[in-house]
Amino acid sequence: MANAETELVRMRGVDQADLAERARRMPPPESRDVVFDVSGLGVRYGSARALKDVSISVYKNFVTAFIGPSGCGKSTFIRCFNRMNDLIPTAVVDGTVNYHGQDLYGPRVDPVEVRKRIGMVFQKPNPFPKSIYDNVAFGPRVLGMTDDLEERVERALIQAALWDEVKDRLKASALSLSGGQQQRLCIARCLAVEPDVLLMDEPASALDPIATTRIEDLMHDLKRDYTIVIVTHNMQQAARIADMTAFFSIEISDEGKQRSGILVEYDTTPKIFTQPSDKRTEDYVTGRFG
Amino acid sequence: MSATSPNVELQGGRTRSVWRGRIFYASLLLSLAVGFITLGTLVVQVVTKGIAFVDPVLLTNPPSADPAVAGTRPAILATLYLGVLLIAFTVPIGVGTAIYLEEYANRSRWYNRLLELNIQNLAAVPSIVYGILGLAFLVRGIGLGRVLLAGALILTLLVLPTVIIAAREAIRAVPGSIRDGAYALGATKWQVTWRQVLPAAIPGIATGSILAVSRAIGETAPLILIGALTYISFNPTIGGPFTALPVQIYNWTKLPNPEFKELAAAAIIVLLAMVLLLNAGAIWLRNHYQQKW
Amino acid sequence: MRITLQQELDELESALHEEGELVLRAVRGCLGALDRQDEELADEVIAFDDEVDEAYLRIEEGIQSLLARQTPVAIDLRTVLATLHVNLHLERMADYCVTVAKLTKLVAGVPPDATLMEAFEEMGVRAEEMIRVALESFAERDVQRAESLVELDELIDRANRRAVQQVIAIGGDDERREWGLRMLIVSRCLERIGDHAVDIGEQTAFLVTGEFREFTDASH
Repeated sequence: MANAETELVRMRGVDQADLAERARRMPPPESRDVVFDVSGLGVRYGSARALKDVSISVYKNFVTAFIGPSGCGKSTFIRCFNRMNDLIPTAVVDGTVNYHGQDLYGPRVDPVEVRKRIGMVFQKPNPFPKSIYDNVAFGPRVLGMTDDLEERVERALIQAALWDEVKDRLKASALSLSGGQQQRLCIARCLAVEPDVLLMDEPASALDPIATTRIEDLMHDLKRDYTIVIVTHNMQQAARIADMTAFFSIEISDEGKQRSGILVEYDTTPKIFTQPSDKRTEDYVTGRFG
Repeated sequence: MSATSPNVELQGGRTRSVWRGRIFYASLLLSLAVGFITLGTLVVQVVTKGIAFVDPVLLTNPPSADPAVAGTRPAILATLYLGVLLIAFTVPIGVGTAIYLEEYANRSRWYNRLLELNIQNLAAVPSIVYGILGLAFLVRGIGLGRVLLAGALILTLLVLPTVIIAAREAIRAVPGSIRDGAYALGATKWQVTWRQVLPAAIPGIATGSILAVSRAIGETAPLILIGALTYISFNPTIGGPFTALPVQIYNWTKLPNPEFKELAAAAIIVLLAMVLLLNAGAIWLRNHYQQKW
Repeated sequence: MRITLQQELDELESALHEEGELVLRAVRGCLGALDRQDEELADEVIAFDDEVDEAYLRIEEGIQSLLARQTPVAIDLRTVLATLHVNLHLERMADYCVTVAKLTKLVAGVPPDATLMEAFEEMGVRAEEMIRVALESFAERDVQRAESLVELDELIDRANRRAVQQVIAIGGDDERREWGLRMLIVSRCLERIGDHAVDIGEQTAFLVTGEFREFTDASH
């Protein structure tokens, strides 16, 4: 491998650094860091099974997208990563979700600790009815991270590409921002507590195309420092921004009585969109589904 | 341009549904009129009868057998004290109960369902029943006596179900997305309730509480039952005997001297003014803190 | 905006220009081998074609991936389609260099005709110039400059026609005549390289104007 590369370098005069940069962009599977290792995960609401036997590895500093038709359980799945399903009384989770080797659903695991490290942005922007500053400061305040609060807030807003637009009116109501700005505020809110992972449940589906593009560009920057998992029903969006894509679908069993979500295919995004291995995936991405 | 265009009849006819619509609209106006006219007549009658007698004498003098110098000062003060105590008691208890029922209670448990049922029923209980309750348990039972505090406590019980219901509505109106957002940041249930839900629900809670209180200060029956006196010439204290403006009004109307009836009308104006002020305050509060979701 | 799309477009274009550099080296290499009758250099040129093919494939795959994932439209789409075509033209040019190198090996040992060699040197210089002009005008999206390729191509075409006359004039024994015929093919290769350069110019015009048109009608 090294010989061929040096050959190329000699003949083409190509920059070594440039080559290294390209190789880093999509490292081979063996050299990727695993953040989440999910194995045999299932979720049911009461007796209705929403998700069945999902096993997947989410890699560090990657954008991983979950796509699939509605009802396939992708939102349910992403909520397993930060234990938001705990808030739904009828939800039961089985299987394991390992986060850096630790089972998120272990007996002594505190959901608050989990959510400190794994933040979430929702489909409809949900800023608190407070000032912009207080919105971003809320997380640090409830978690006791109040040292250098002003710097934290500023850093978070800069990372969320919102600082320039709001730096002169931090005390203004968060509800006076536009939809796209509100969503970036919600992202800043998450970033203020210095998480490790950002979960995004259809973050741009309530936004206009320009705001959507800004969020997508933002994700591209953020993945340098964070691991991002995104659920989207817009598969073109997944194609544009994700490094890895997981396609979920609905499995109907027991003579049509049970509809549960399953993981069909999980691979690099170029592969999913140029040559998927499973016909169901191909039917979905080509728009011939159903 | 087609040779034959479809026959489109755009002129509406006097169809039955049009008439039905008009009748409906007319009956709405009628009910509005009935309400307004009745209310208007009452207010106009009272105001014309009593406006001449609304003067500083009325407001600053204690009652007296002589209508020329009779005033309502102790009654006004007592009504004010009652109002303040009422807020101080009902708001913490009412809001606390509402928070428990909305955020913490598990609806499937029988005792929670019983609690809810009770509250709904209590809101419909006639106020005089509370009067009897207060007489039996507060004035005599624990021996408080016929004092202002007892009156305040009775009114608290009277008004509590309404405040609880209003607070529950206000808390329920806080969108779930706010809670989700707060939980997702790592807040505990207590932090979410105290820092997000309550602050967002305050306008609704405040409005509900003030409306309930302004109704309560017009209550006469329970206060009479627990022994609001008819004639007090000194300023009331919390632990002492008292009267209240509605009671004062009621008493004056019973006196034979017609001048007292006119004074009663004047006192009604004062009471109306107080209630109006409170309600205006409630509306101002609601508008000032209104959030657009 | 659309950071990823822009990055990928830029990467594709710089890869294209790197491929262009490879092609230029191939042209220089095959002409040098021809001029000095250097069989070793000819072998290197033939082996070198693998690099060009690799670059070609990488760009092809990059384009496929970009189309699938970024759904470019308007000017971005024209850029990608133009890149696709330019890629193909560059690869064909390199193939012609291989043909010239192979022919050089075949005629090794036969004394060359000085006039023809001079002509080839001139054609080679023209061809290199055309490739450079084609790539630069593509990079700068300069339609006028791209159109100037037509004139340069005329010069190569004329030189090609003169070469035919010269080969007929050479005559001589079988070995000489065989040499002449092979050199005709070399001349044709150089002329085709010039044509591909013009095609690249046409892609530049397509990219900018959105209209595809031939600069000259080949039937003339």
